[in-house]
Amino acid sequence: MKQQLLSLSLVAFASTSLLVGASLAQADYPEKTINLVVGYSAGGGTDVMARTVAKYVEEQLGEGATVVVKNMPGAGGQIGFSAIASAEPDGYTIGTMNLPAAMALTYDRDADYDVDSFTWLANVVSDPNTLVVPKGSDIHSLEELIEHARNSPGKVPVGLSSLGGNDHFSAIQFAEAADVELNYVPFNGAAQARSALMGGHVAMGTMAFSQTVGFEEELRVLAVLSDERLPQAPDVPTAKELGFDIEMGSFRGLAAPAGLPDDIRADLVSALESMATDPAFLSDMARQGNPLSFSYGDDYQALAEAQDEAARRTWEETPWK
Amino acid sequence: MYGSLLDALPAVLSLGNFAAVVIGVIAGICIGALPGLSATMAISVLIPFTFGMDPLVALGMMAGIYNGAMYGGSIPAVLLRIPGTPAAVATSFDGYPMAQQGKGGYALQVSVVSSAIGGIASAIVLMLLAPPLAKVTLLFGPSEVFWVAVFGLSAIVFLLGGDILKGLMSACFGVFVSLVGLDSISGYDRYTFGHLELLDGINIVVLLVGLYAMPPAIALLEEIVDLDTSMSGKLNTVSLWKAIPSMLKYWKTWLRSSIIGIFVGILPGAGGSMAAFLSYNEARRASSNPDDWGKGEPEGVAASETSNNADTASALIPALTLGIPGTAVAAVMLGGLLIHGLQPGPMLFRDNPDIVFGFMWQFLFAAILLIVLGGALATNSFAQVLRLPRPLLGAFIIALVLVGVYSINGRMFDVYLMLGFGLVGYFMDKLKFPLPPVVLGLILGGFAEQNLRLALRIGGGDWTALASSTTSKVIIALILLVVLTPLFKRIFRPKRSLTSAS
Repeated sequence: MKQQLLSLSLVAFASTSLLVGASLAQADYPEKTINLVVGYSAGGGTDVMARTVAKYVEEQLGEGATVVVKNMPGAGGQIGFSAIASAEPDGYTIGTMNLPAAMALTYDRDADYDVDSFTWLANVVSDPNTLVVPKGSDIHSLEELIEHARNSPGKVPVGLSSLGGNDHFSAIQFAEAADVELNYVPFNGAAQARSALMGGHVAMGTMAFSQTVGFEEELRVLAVLSDERLPQAPDVPTAKELGFDIEMGSFRGLAAPAGLPDDIRADLVSALESMATDPAFLSDMARQGNPLSFSYGDDYQALAEAQDEAARRTWEETPWK
Repeated sequence: MYGSLLDALPAVLSLGNFAAVVIGVIAGICIGALPGLSATMAISVLIPFTFGMDPLVALGMMAGIYNGAMYGGSIPAVLLRIPGTPAAVATSFDGYPMAQQGKGGYALQVSVVSSAIGGIASAIVLMLLAPPLAKVTLLFGPSEVFWVAVFGLSAIVFLLGGDILKGLMSACFGVFVSLVGLDSISGYDRYTFGHLELLDGINIVVLLVGLYAMPPAIALLEEIVDLDTSMSGKLNTVSLWKAIPSMLKYWKTWLRSSIIGIFVGILPGAGGSMAAFLSYNEARRASSNPDDWGKGEPEGVAASETSNNADTASALIPALTLGIPGTAVAAVMLGGLLIHGLQPGPMLFRDNPDIVFGFMWQFLFAAILLIVLGGALATNSFAQVLRLPRPLLGAFIIALVLVGVYSINGRMFDVYLMLGFGLVGYFMDKLKFPLPPVVLGLILGGFAEQNLRLALRIGGGDWTALASSTTSKVIIALILLVVLTPLFKRIFRPKRSLTSAS
């Protein structure tokens, strides 16, 4: 009753003000459940991020807003990405996007979406790749690694989590920049690639930085493929510092179908922006071991286009199938 | 480390956390017993709900479901020859003949006791030996895992049945199904015909349900008496506690199967079904009356059920320490840990000992609870279900199976696929093609292929790389021993009979 009175008086106040149109548009959205499509099964890294985001963005979207995570696993995320692209752009279907993987899928097989099929909302996680060897390896630096690769061209096995993902792109870029030939070994997922590396079954890996967290006693990270050194690992040099201009990582963020009305886009982006400053959200994300990097709207779109371009170039120069 | 094991105990015994395990075990038995619903699926459905729960409540439920389902799968396997879960296929070999002979109650009692023993052994190993065993996992790279798969495939000889040609055709069909999907090494699609749904390959539950559950369900509707449920309706004549002493003679099988189950659990990517097949095969090899196997030998049920539960907790060893799940269920459970911010890896044991060791205790309690909950409550109530009129029971199974298969990925495609396999299974049944080789072919065929190719890729195409490590050599020696022993026995037997005759 009290709430009803309050909202009545708010409406009354709003109708007398000049801001009537704008504030009503904002009050209208969302009026029903928002589906957050995740192209992977429940419990994976992307799913956990999505559920955390859903919980906090609900609060930002205002009283009564509900965001429900909908898992649509399969085909390396493609089923989910396609579902987002083909949904009605009414703001009630949004989803998680993984770059560059989502864009790589549009080159190595038929996909019914491309970079323009989405309204890019916000990037949340940025997880740079690394160049890493097992702790027991004789290789202690990038220089030694390159020398080792030169001595046995095409023979040094690199463990990858899969073909056509950021692990693979990192390895290709490293091989080009260092002018060496490597032997790419795609495993079934990041954890298997890491175990093969720890067991010495492959000589080096290019796994994402978050995959090395907790394994400091088993793995030796030679370089990180980010623009700057990571606050979590200030002693690990970037490849750039060492003279190799390679930057690669995986980005996880949120997008809606293309053609989302501007006011809804603005609502969602501003809710995500306020979520990014919520200390409770930040501490939850940190606990899950996610390196965060926020970018919104047009900036995120630029990031997606750059990743798409990188995937396209890699596919054209060194197709993986 | 063992100090923190004890420190974790009080929290596990608190009312809420303990109730979670009890509920999990009961739910697990029911889910396992319903054809088409598996532990993997139950836990994936549960995961989103655990987001707001206390970690130990969520993990306790998962531990309960996992253990309960591994036993629950044997109930329809014994009573209807429909394995409730993939891991219960080997249980049906002897369990169903026992039920036909009116010993279904005893078969279920053997099953529940064996399941509990396997689960307890596995939980203890997880508690005491997780870090050293994780080092064993690391020894197994692609070439070593390939040889383990070859070892498993040697079991196929025993599963072929009377007609070897039909048996081999079944096995080849299983291997063919394992080929479908995206080839993760070259990146090419195989037999997907442009369907995105087939890119990840065919889920074993879809195949299993189609082949194993549909034909008997249709038979129930046809009201043909060859599926005999009249005997299995009358179950327990003796109480579980009186039946246990007569089972103690299976101690060797319990021990052997526990070890096999635990070993398969710590291998990356293997699973409960492989453990059950291997251990059934080894128990039969060691038995003094191998010819009675497949005709109602209780030891066969004991072997299969011990090892598919022994695989549960040990599958968490590589999952918790290395982040590689030993089974599909462990993979889903990793997700459950991740949701609570628990990153697998060596740090997990240092940073969150209360939760990790608490989780291990919960596995132990879940295994112990199986005897009480599985033996007394579940077994008898499920036997009642079988007293339903047959057309009703058949329709009930088909309805369950449709819902179960739909819920794996939430799409009709899998349901149609399952119905297709149902058709194949129906004709295989009528034409007397054995079904177990199909399952073994699907599980081990793809597993062997992928690891062989990874191993060759790492070795740059050099086949000698397959046998370069000590671990590989040991497994190859074991395979040769197992394959050649019967041959030598056959060569030397006539001589012996000659000397004894003279």
